[in-house]
Amino acid sequence: MPNHVIKHQPVFGLLEVQLAPGEVIVAEAGAMVARAPHVEMDVRLNAPANAGFFGKLKALVIALIRKVVAGETFFVNHFSSPHGGWVWLAPALSGAIRHLVLQGQTMLFSAGAFLASTGNVAMRPRFGGCRSLLAKEGAFFLETSGSGEIWVTSYGAVEEVYCNGSYVVDTGHIVGFDASLNYTIKAPGGGLVGMLGSGEGLVCEFQGQGRILVQSRNLGALVNWLIPMLPG
Amino acid sequence: MQVNILYRSSQTIAQCWLQPGESMLAESGAMMGMSTNVQIQTQSGGMMSGLKRLFGGESFFRNTFTAHGGNGEVLLTTPLCGDMVVLECGRSQWILQNSAYVGSSYGVDVQTQGSAKGLFSGAGLFTLATQGQGHCIAGSFGAIEPLPVNGDLIIDTGHIVAWESHLQYRVTKATNGWIDSFLSGEGLVCHFTGQGMLYIQSRSTSEYGSTVGALLPPREN
Repeated sequence: MPNHVIKHQPVFGLLEVQLAPGEVIVAEAGAMVARAPHVEMDVRLNAPANAGFFGKLKALVIALIRKVVAGETFFVNHFSSPHGGWVWLAPALSGAIRHLVLQGQTMLFSAGAFLASTGNVAMRPRFGGCRSLLAKEGAFFLETSGSGEIWVTSYGAVEEVYCNGSYVVDTGHIVGFDASLNYTIKAPGGGLVGMLGSGEGLVCEFQGQGRILVQSRNLGALVNWLIPMLPG
Repeated sequence: MQVNILYRSSQTIAQCWLQPGESMLAESGAMMGMSTNVQIQTQSGGMMSGLKRLFGGESFFRNTFTAHGGNGEVLLTTPLCGDMVVLECGRSQWILQNSAYVGSSYGVDVQTQGSAKGLFSGAGLFTLATQGQGHCIAGSFGAIEPLPVNGDLIIDTGHIVAWESHLQYRVTKATNGWIDSFLSGEGLVCHFTGQGMLYIQSRSTSEYGSTVGALLPPREN
């Protein structure tokens, strides 16, 4: 595990990572702020390392869908150096960076939440269900599994809620959650009237035991506020 | 002039204290408050330097603030949420990314300089170079973090705020190939060499703009 420091939380989080010799950190395309010159940057398709030709082809097709549907980038950068070295990373929006350790469990993250990972972490998109197509935040969750470290980013501050039984979160405020939770995407208050009337858009209802990471701001809400302000 | 930076690192104000008769300069529109004995004079410093500033991403005019008959206070801010840093000019001089300028002591001359290298560096076709003695206040989008250059390092062009002018830099591809550089989302990077201080900002206006802008309806012209 690399040494890391996260500065300027929660508004302008900046991740400073010190890599050990040969250690690799995988980061979202465009996340690099600065790096030591001997740290090599390698651009890769975001596919499992052991995937064969068809696995990579499938990853490419899914990545293209994600790019179109969820506005996500589908390439990641691999940073490493035989001598070790430092890399600084930051997300695009104003918000915090959260460090998580995976020890064999699986977690799901919203589109755009992934910043970086190290170790043996596998990532694949998981379709959120037909109803999730209605949610502006994207129909896919990023499924991460394996063992290693992950850094995720939020729009706004990030709060961890423990779901003990059941819990409801606005889809625009989800950063990620443990895959041990079952979830249903639905309209709050039920039906179309509830969806339009409550102003909450779609919510995700979780069942079971596990962590949910929520963010204090919602990108969809910012966009909805900005659009009427635009001239023309 | 004495400068105190308040509310770092996202809601920063530069609190500037002037002695009787002392003047300072600030970017047009940066003043949020001042004592009543401070007078503002608007000047372009001549047509050419005004135009150069305009092309440099700054405003055509720069304001001079002078304290009359006593000490004066001037409060300065930036349009976006972000941080500020006070650059000491004298023994070392600084180059600022074109939109980073907030204000400066009267004894510091901030000149717009054009270079094709600047255009590709992301700092803009025009950068600002300090000369003289005093303070220069630089503002950012995101938090400012000092990054001392000791040998060499690589920085994303959108994250540069200011650097000591004796540092050397060249603009290079982010990785070996042009296609990879494009796909990596990093595009062009600056390779700095030498010994000196560099200040980075933890967010990039262009990355923020393209993330939020992608969700907005197309502009109608």
